[in-house]
Amino acid sequence: MVDVPVAASRGSESAGQETVRGRDVRRSGGLLARHLVLIAMAALTLFPVLLIVSTALKTPQDVRSNPFGLFTSFSLENLQSAWTVGRFSSYLLDSLLLSVPSTAVVIVISTMAGYTFARLPFPGRTVVFYLVVLGLLVPFFTYMIPLYFQLRSMGLLDSLVGANLVLISTNLSFGTFFMRAFFSDLPDELEQAARIDGASESRIFAQVMMPLVSSGAAALTVFTFLSNWNNFLVPLLYLPSGKYRPLTAGLYNFTGGRSMDIGPLAAGTLITIVPVIVIFVILQRQVTQGFISGAVKG
Amino acid sequence: MRAASNVPPVTRRAQARLGIVLALPVAVVTAVFFVFPMVSALYYAVVDFDGLDPTPPFVGLSNFTEMFTDTATWHALGNNAIWIAIGTAAPMIIGLLTAVLIWSGRRGGPVYRVLFFLPFMLPGVAIGIVWGWMYDPVNGWINRVLGAVGLGGLSRGWLGDPDTAIFAVLATAIWATCGFVTMIILSALRNVDVELVDAARIDGANAGQRLWHVLLPQIMPVFLMVLTLTLVGGFSVFDIIFIMTGGGPADATEVLGTYAYSSAFQLNRISYGTVLALLITVLAVPFTIMLNRLQRRLSLQGMGA
Repeated sequence: MVDVPVAASRGSESAGQETVRGRDVRRSGGLLARHLVLIAMAALTLFPVLLIVSTALKTPQDVRSNPFGLFTSFSLENLQSAWTVGRFSSYLLDSLLLSVPSTAVVIVISTMAGYTFARLPFPGRTVVFYLVVLGLLVPFFTYMIPLYFQLRSMGLLDSLVGANLVLISTNLSFGTFFMRAFFSDLPDELEQAARIDGASESRIFAQVMMPLVSSGAAALTVFTFLSNWNNFLVPLLYLPSGKYRPLTAGLYNFTGGRSMDIGPLAAGTLITIVPVIVIFVILQRQVTQGFISGAVKG
Repeated sequence: MRAASNVPPVTRRAQARLGIVLALPVAVVTAVFFVFPMVSALYYAVVDFDGLDPTPPFVGLSNFTEMFTDTATWHALGNNAIWIAIGTAAPMIIGLLTAVLIWSGRRGGPVYRVLFFLPFMLPGVAIGIVWGWMYDPVNGWINRVLGAVGLGGLSRGWLGDPDTAIFAVLATAIWATCGFVTMIILSALRNVDVELVDAARIDGANAGQRLWHVLLPQIMPVFLMVLTLTLVGGFSVFDIIFIMTGGGPADATEVLGTYAYSSAFQLNRISYGTVLALLITVLAVPFTIMLNRLQRRLSLQGMGA
């Protein structure tokens, strides 16, 4: 994988010394080589995803005889058995119950806090801000074990509320940082003009400034939702009994259970990744913006 | 802070009041679900807690001395080092070259970006499952391809062989991270001064020289940022290893994260697991801070500030 791009860039190496016409020919040749390399890499990137789709949509007999042959038959049987026997319908519901509330709360709290840290000085603000930033630096590992016993003593272990709260807290540092960057970019004049018009501070926040960061909030929503949807460690640790089990934990449990039933497992994997792919393809601008501006501005 | 001088005191007091109200939720959640368990972690580190005893005995630093004399810790740390070295270098190199290829390829940028970024969005469990199939000793595609090109002698159960397991999992992780690096670097390349690149070409700089001397310095802050993220991720790697091998076969893929998890939740050695987890922090945080500083300095220079 590593030496392929090197070979491709070599194609355009000597382009500099040729005549103009010769250079154009060489460069379009280089262009073709570049795209061939990129297409090969795209194929390598997509292959495992195709393998999931193909295995999920084969007949169970075909999966048994030729488990990983690509698209050799078609049937919805695996999806059906994953949905009913494999309990993936209830995993899907639990995934939603864990991702939707936590995402909503993260967006609300991050927007409020981001605005404060960007534009509203108050005594002690720096201390609170540094504690929130610390959350970006410290790996979740550091405190995940004590948090287990803390949740247990709070009666929040094995509950949707507890798992949601943990998901909220693990996303808040990034969210606050992210929204703060958007609020910091807004011009002071807006705020001053609204103030001269007699708007109260809370009105300036809610009706003047907040609508201007809606694209940022949208990006953060998509990004946070996906990160919660994909989270594996939080349900593994804090929903141990299996009473509530999101798709990620359900899948893991399925791999450990009885004989490796590849057909339904593939179907379950497909159920887990389809929402991710759909959201990503439709909202890819928001997702990538979430990554880029959050990371670069921060 | 901002423009405090021309804001009248009445406004400043109103701002402070609203500020406190708006910051309250984040402060409470951070205090209860982050600061408090962090402090507990320090307490757990100096007692011997088994998960049940409400008053665990104080043991001082003996958890730490045990950790440093435990060969399993060093073994796990060694795997973390392999993970950090290869798992950072490979995605950085592949991601950088891919980004430059897309950038200079003129067409298809958006399509490639979506395709390459996709693996990074997928849940680790799904990635672990499908790559488990790829590495399958009998039917897996890796062995099939090796057989087809006449390298059948190399085929093996990649995840079951202690010599290859860590690299097999690493390759999966690299597959999943390259697109992230590509996308971030690609976004930085948009701000690159193309005239400098053309000038270097006219002066006879080859592709490698142009990349190293012209492109890379211009995107250095972003490059360092991605480097920080991948590097720090290497210390706290957990999901993909836990899912694909569970640390096995015979501890071959054990890293600090999986070792901390199994110590705490499978052997009920809560305090020992906590100390191992603290080690991850102690190793990761200085790296983050150092690289962040460097990045900030470079990006300030870049903006001429």
